[in-house]
Amino acid sequence: MFKDDYITLCRARISAFSGQVSGENRMLSERERERYLRQLPLFGDEGQEILRSSSVCVAGAGGLGSPVALYLAAAGVGHIRLLDPDRVDRSNLNRQILHTDPDIPRFKVDSAAEKLVRLNPDIRIEPMPIAIHEGNALLVADGMDLLVDALDSYPPRYLLNRVAFEKGIPLVHAAVSGFVGQLTTIIPGETPCLRCAIPHSPEGGSSPPVLGATAGILGTMEALEAIKVLLGMGDVAKNFLLVWDGMYGRLDQIPVERIPGCPVCGSRG
Amino acid sequence: MPGVREQGLNRVITVHIRAFARFRELFGDRFDLKVESPATVRSVMHEIGRRNVQGISELLDHEGNVKKSVIIMVNRERISGETRDDHPVSGEDEVALYPPVAGG
Repeated sequence: MFKDDYITLCRARISAFSGQVSGENRMLSERERERYLRQLPLFGDEGQEILRSSSVCVAGAGGLGSPVALYLAAAGVGHIRLLDPDRVDRSNLNRQILHTDPDIPRFKVDSAAEKLVRLNPDIRIEPMPIAIHEGNALLVADGMDLLVDALDSYPPRYLLNRVAFEKGIPLVHAAVSGFVGQLTTIIPGETPCLRCAIPHSPEGGSSPPVLGATAGILGTMEALEAIKVLLGMGDVAKNFLLVWDGMYGRLDQIPVERIPGCPVCGSRG
Repeated sequence: MPGVREQGLNRVITVHIRAFARFRELFGDRFDLKVESPATVRSVMHEIGRRNVQGISELLDHEGNVKKSVIIMVNRERISGETRDDHPVSGEDEVALYPPVAGG
């Protein structure tokens, strides 16, 4: 099995950030009913209970991960596993809205977990101050119903993609730069994978200019996709790359087709 | 043949370009381009690159090859693989290009 002391250590620390979690099969409490009053008409008690019993791994607690985690927590996703090895830096604060100046130089996942539990104490936040790598990828996806790619480079993205297909877990991908962002939702067994969508990672450093609002829009769209996938509602961005161009106010769809012989999804239908 | 006309000794065709995101900013949203026939993805990209000296480095590498990361579609179909740059382009074809982003 995998040896990763950080994971073990983090799991032991979870209780420090856990909300008031109770059994998954109970009815909604009065407090939950009040909290979710304005969204219960959209998917009913049954939908809310599905969200409460769902586990989502958000990889990255930065520009994309902040709005993803905030909106998933606000919507009542019962278990959010948050991954990020970095500490809060002042240069993060134009876009990483879970963190504030006094959080420098805490681990981003700790800073994030504190705010998320304050927002919604009825859910469980699992902060992991680690990077995803070959040795822990399967483990970080273990028990998850959905993976959200809020990372900032392609090597770990491709790893998350591979794990999604190995374990059959849906993956919502997004990336941003400047005024531009892209998103696609990957369903193993149904859609092509991230390798087919983006066969070659873009060049350039890992610190492109990013407007906070761009990350906010794409992260919020990821949260929306995640909720729809969990609830099985509506259409999600399958088989295309949704491209948001904030400079020109345009939303385009780039087709995604399975690359013949793709080592990740080619033999998985 | 539609989209083809003689220009001196060369046959010139017109292709319709659509650029997304950063490439829209660098090269323009939609425009027609005249290229010599027979045309390929490579020759079309070189012609697009000539429109913007600053933009060419985001489209082509130092050896003049189209950057691998650039997503190219001809008539709304993705063109990929090792032979991507040699893919033929005909008169009146629509060629679209998008540079994926990486940040988070």
